[in-house]
Amino acid sequence: MNVIYFIMQQTFFFMMPLLIVALGGMFSERSGIVNIALEGKMLLGAFASIFFINQVQSAENVHLDGHPLLLLALLVAAATGVVTALLHAFASITLNANQVISGVAINMLAPAFAIYTARIFGETNTQQVFFNNTFRIESVPVLGSIPFIGPMFFQNTYITTYLGFLILIVSAFALYKTKFGLRLRACGEHPQAADSVGVSVYKMRYAGVLLSGALAGMGGLILIIPTAVNFNATVSGYGFLALAVLIFGAWKPQRIVLAALFFGLLQAIAAGHSGIPALRDLGIPVHFYRMVPFVATLVVLAITSSGKARNAAPRAAGEPYDKGNR
Amino acid sequence: MKKFIALLMVMVLAGALIACAGNDDTTTTDTVVEADTDDDAGADDAQADDTDAVVEQDDSGDWDGIPIALVTDYGTIDDGSFNQGSWEGVVAYAEENGIPHQYIQPAEKTDAGYLDAIVLAIEGGAQIVVTPGFLFEVSVGEAQSMFPDVKFVLIDGRPDIGEDAPYIADNTVAVLYAEEESGFLAGYAAVMEGHTSLGFIGGIAVPAVVRFGTGFVEGAEYAAAELGLAEGEITINYAYAGTFGPSPEVQTMAASWYNEGVEVIFAAAGGAGFSVFAAAEAAGALAIGVDIDQAGASDTIITSALKGLEASVYSILSDFFAGNFPGGTEKIFDASLNGVGLPMETSRFENFTQAQYDDIFQRLANGEVEVSTEVGPEAHLNLNLSIVEVVNIG
Repeated sequence: MNVIYFIMQQTFFFMMPLLIVALGGMFSERSGIVNIALEGKMLLGAFASIFFINQVQSAENVHLDGHPLLLLALLVAAATGVVTALLHAFASITLNANQVISGVAINMLAPAFAIYTARIFGETNTQQVFFNNTFRIESVPVLGSIPFIGPMFFQNTYITTYLGFLILIVSAFALYKTKFGLRLRACGEHPQAADSVGVSVYKMRYAGVLLSGALAGMGGLILIIPTAVNFNATVSGYGFLALAVLIFGAWKPQRIVLAALFFGLLQAIAAGHSGIPALRDLGIPVHFYRMVPFVATLVVLAITSSGKARNAAPRAAGEPYDKGNR
Repeated sequence: MKKFIALLMVMVLAGALIACAGNDDTTTTDTVVEADTDDDAGADDAQADDTDAVVEQDDSGDWDGIPIALVTDYGTIDDGSFNQGSWEGVVAYAEENGIPHQYIQPAEKTDAGYLDAIVLAIEGGAQIVVTPGFLFEVSVGEAQSMFPDVKFVLIDGRPDIGEDAPYIADNTVAVLYAEEESGFLAGYAAVMEGHTSLGFIGGIAVPAVVRFGTGFVEGAEYAAAELGLAEGEITINYAYAGTFGPSPEVQTMAASWYNEGVEVIFAAAGGAGFSVFAAAEAAGALAIGVDIDQAGASDTIITSALKGLEASVYSILSDFFAGNFPGGTEKIFDASLNGVGLPMETSRFENFTQAQYDDIFQRLANGEVEVSTEVGPEAHLNLNLSIVEVVNIG
């Protein structure tokens, strides 16, 4: 039983950043902007917020720690993501640049910027930015002591896990039940049609990309906090994995959450199998386990990409909006 | 909209400037101060006379150029690892003796780039060039024959001249470390401390990491025998992470071990070690660091298996300036040369004492205890163990 709880707790560490970042990607792509820059936005969001935590924790006259600090850091991460996304948005919406290229540029810029800044302004002048993890919740009061459900969902956890679910619900609601969501989706499917009824395609696309920046930035912080003691200018490719989750999830929140859960669970088993006697004693080489998440993704993608799902991608994603084009 | 964006950009820039200003008085970039010279000479277009010009500022007029140079691998001088440890050795010796010294950072991470940097150092007057890390094997292999009058100190590697066997010319010394002894001390200390369930996570099964691992296992075995434990009382989970970079997967692997009951994990895995420390913090368990004293990285680190970079560089430099450069040899820094050890001052042991450490260190140093130096990904399975049970993962 202990093993199941453990795997579940670890799954959330993988799943939550993937979920949040993929939802960010969803807003951007649903508005018609291909967002390959998720990795870079995650990285910069993580960098700025970890740097912020580092500075606050080492400042002598500031007594701020624990969850208030984490929530502030999330805001910092979101703000950084928004600023980064502005670059992407400006290039690809206002200037009609190729969306993939401006995304790649951000991905290349991000680690270099993080290393450079950390080395110049950091306390230790190294590329690693350290932080004290004072954010872990051993057990949520009351809820954590419920049998079965407690250890599964409410022990050894972070407030970010619940924030992730909140973001999921709000995103799904915003996308399907609000005027904003309808207009956003319209801009991703047929921007000229949206424009013809008075929706500003540029504004909607800016909104989509900036939202994606905010969520990706937060996702970066959420990935780093439980899994490291410092930020080392990398988010280990999770931005690209989130992109895969987005596609796997067919650009729909209710499927993205399942895709993120699927991927997170496989990752947790793949990485944690060596501490599970039942799996370890099978004698299967560790390399096999490391392949599992990726092979499974390929297989599931191949199966689900047939028929209706193939057309799930927003029709106008990747095309700069041209008013004159009908 | 455009105005709004422009305004935002300006604000960001202004913010960055303010951040600069605020920090300037607190951060002195010590690298530049220590370097006695232009620290940016590594750029391709840097001229040799650039460095010459700086020497004139130096008080000791006796030197023609800068006689001690260190070329960093792609990392930087404050990487908390090889470059930093070696550079500290250079600085310690050079400042003690008033000798100008500098470091050069290669412009690119290729053998040619390293060689360029070495040439630049020599044009700057270097008589002895320190190159930290096995990445320099090829470039030093070439440089040693190009510059027979210059001495080369290759840390943790042997010059590679494209043949099957490495060739150490008379003007080169290959500095190696007895990682197995360092690992041995860590394993010994962990068991003496009272731990029975241990773990080892290596980065990639390269010889240095393998020696750390096998030494760790043997140290645990040795301590277990001294304590008179029964067969199987000590278990060691043993795995290679397949990476030297930090990753959530390594964190989960370590967390799963801690969850299973492992008490302390020895992480000989570079940056991936930080993922192990994160797992240790979450599990309230312990870890052992590697290469340099990592005690500051996390409160969970009970000790670190050291390589004495600073001591070895210092020792070679004093040999050189005393006229006995050990050229053409492989110099293995082991316990007898103070090349390995545990940082007892910063260690967080509760039971393992300084006296016990001195005792085992002495026995390693005088050869009473011998540690296997076999390398290879399966080396840990071929050890002669009677008490320790190695749980191989891979």
